Amino acid sequence: MLLAGTDYTFAVAETPMLSFVFRKLLMLIPTLLGITLVTFTLVHLIPGDPVAIMAGERGISAERHAEVMAELGLDRPMWEQYLSFLGNLAHGDLGHSLISSNPVLDEFMSLFPATLELGFCAMLLAVCLGIPLGVIAGIKRGSIIDHTVMGTSLTGYSMPIFWWGLLLIIFFSGILGWTPVSGRLSSSYWIDTPTGFMLIDTLLSGEPGAFVDALQHLILPTVVLATIPLAVIARMTRSSILEVLGEDYIRTARAKGLSPWRIIAIHALRNAMIPVTTVIGLQIGLLFSGAILTETIFSWPGIGKWLIDAVGRRDYPSLQGGILLIALIVMMVNLIVDLLYGLINPRIRNSR
Amino acid sequence: MALLDIEQLSVSFDTDEGTFPAVSDLSLTLEEGEVLGIVGESGSGKSVTMLAMMGLLPFNARVKASRFHFAGQDMQTLSDRARRRLTGNDIAMIFQEPSTSLNPSFTIGFQLLEAIKAHEGGGRRQRRERAIELLDQVGIPAPAKRLSDYPHQLSGGMNQRVMIAMAIACNPRLLIADEPTTALDVTIQAQILDLLLRLQEERGMGMILITHDMGVVAGAAKRVAVMYAGQLMETGTSHDVFREPAHPYTGALLNALPERHPGTTRLPTIPGVVPGINDRPQGCLFHPRCAHAQKDCRASRPALEAIHAETGLGTRHVRCYHPLNEEVLEIAP
Repeated sequence: MLLAGTDYTFAVAETPMLSFVFRKLLMLIPTLLGITLVTFTLVHLIPGDPVAIMAGERGISAERHAEVMAELGLDRPMWEQYLSFLGNLAHGDLGHSLISSNPVLDEFMSLFPATLELGFCAMLLAVCLGIPLGVIAGIKRGSIIDHTVMGTSLTGYSMPIFWWGLLLIIFFSGILGWTPVSGRLSSSYWIDTPTGFMLIDTLLSGEPGAFVDALQHLILPTVVLATIPLAVIARMTRSSILEVLGEDYIRTARAKGLSPWRIIAIHALRNAMIPVTTVIGLQIGLLFSGAILTETIFSWPGIGKWLIDAVGRRDYPSLQGGILLIALIVMMVNLIVDLLYGLINPRIRNSR
Repeated sequence: MALLDIEQLSVSFDTDEGTFPAVSDLSLTLEEGEVLGIVGESGSGKSVTMLAMMGLLPFNARVKASRFHFAGQDMQTLSDRARRRLTGNDIAMIFQEPSTSLNPSFTIGFQLLEAIKAHEGGGRRQRRERAIELLDQVGIPAPAKRLSDYPHQLSGGMNQRVMIAMAIACNPRLLIADEPTTALDVTIQAQILDLLLRLQEERGMGMILITHDMGVVAGAAKRVAVMYAGQLMETGTSHDVFREPAHPYTGALLNALPERHPGTTRLPTIPGVVPGINDRPQGCLFHPRCAHAQKDCRASRPALEAIHAETGLGTRHVRCYHPLNEEVLEIAP
């Protein structure tokens, strides 16, 4: 029973950070529900059906086709299929792949480390290269360095990923022969994969050659996947640094007689990073769409390639479950980025 | 020897539309411990002059002077590094907007300690004690607690006190205050001004006070310089200048003071605006807005000339062919 005059909001108000996280987590539910509806609809709008594709070019008789469809439950009305999908989802069951009949979640989890490894390396490259390049371009505005960085990043941003990937394969793998064309590890190595992260697993295996081999496999896909985020981060950092350098507090820092290096590295960069963090968060979300293309080009056995294969085979449960899980991951990343803002920007920390 | 000795300073900006002379033919001296007021409308080159002194002008600015000495050092031949040892240490500056002049991402303590560390060094604990002492001196209550606050957690007045603490941290010989009270509430303005003048007196700092509030200058500065469109129009003791303004511009500024027109609903104004890059007039820069302009004012630009000074405190100069009260103020031989 609620008592008049009693303050029931104190628990939430005293821990603003927790209530912020809690509210954000609650928001996930309707968003995810919307995503299930959209993916379910889109997936079923793809022409053709899994049975016809499984049967191959020769086809099967109409009776046998209808029989298999009924076995898989695909003959039921759409709304019924959607509701049963939701019902299973509520029990944590993403269904089974129509092709391999393995649980979708298991397949996803076994392939996800490959995508995570690639995505992590790509983001690391993009951030570690993009921020310094953007800063230098910003400080040296109008110089050759600035024009080079900005021109290159615009090119990188505009280049179709698959074409860029193919160019790199032709040059570095085909002509120079420096890197392997595809996969994560040469077939001459056979190692246990307890973590699923090839760089870690090869290190654990105690075979130095395997680690170098895994690294070589990783280089080109990382470069391809990092290109767009790198370009976006560099451009954002540049414009952000330029804006910050015009601020009054930079003038104050100069008036203290601080060294130019300290003014840029401490006073300007900290503030310039606030919008860049937002962009990095958004790029992590977009990374998955880049991963789909990159993994396909380099035959990288990750989520992206798995999803493309699922589309080809009309593997409805895999598609629905995979997209839902990716959406969940992207939303969690955004939540983490939101929380990180507070670390960088004290004005947000205190107002929350 | 004067603390600050500037002769024929000119600052110009290279813009897309050509070169804009922000300051021209400006000569100033300031003794140790002296307070000089600089007044003038926005865009008259007050701040640019001070930023030139601090070496804080943007890259498209060009500074020239036949003499630019601070404490006997020629500022024009100093290396960047030597210049940085001077700024924030011997010369310090306070700005107009306290809330944007402090870095929002760092605590008050960080920014204050940084100013101390940059020039004085000393141990970590010593610096911290010094920071607390400084905050106490500028009238911030519970100074030790404020060190971990961020600028947005303090009011504008408190932030300006922090700026002042930062400026006096290394015991400067010259403090430049660029409209230090303009952005503050009226009730706080007097407090901050009192604080500045008290610190100036206690420490015997030279101080240049830029403002467009003639009342502030009259009370605070012994000597005043009136600037218009990058030129000095009139200099002299505040007593002389405010009692008997010689330049029509000074006269017009004083005439616009609300205190001089009790009971009226509409204050007298100076028609027009300070000339920009494209409308700098021939002749005297003020003549298009001057009520006393004559033919010779349009023809050529007057020079800054010494005139009779009523009191013995320094000389008096005016840049005008037809000073006000000509019969009172005889042109000095």
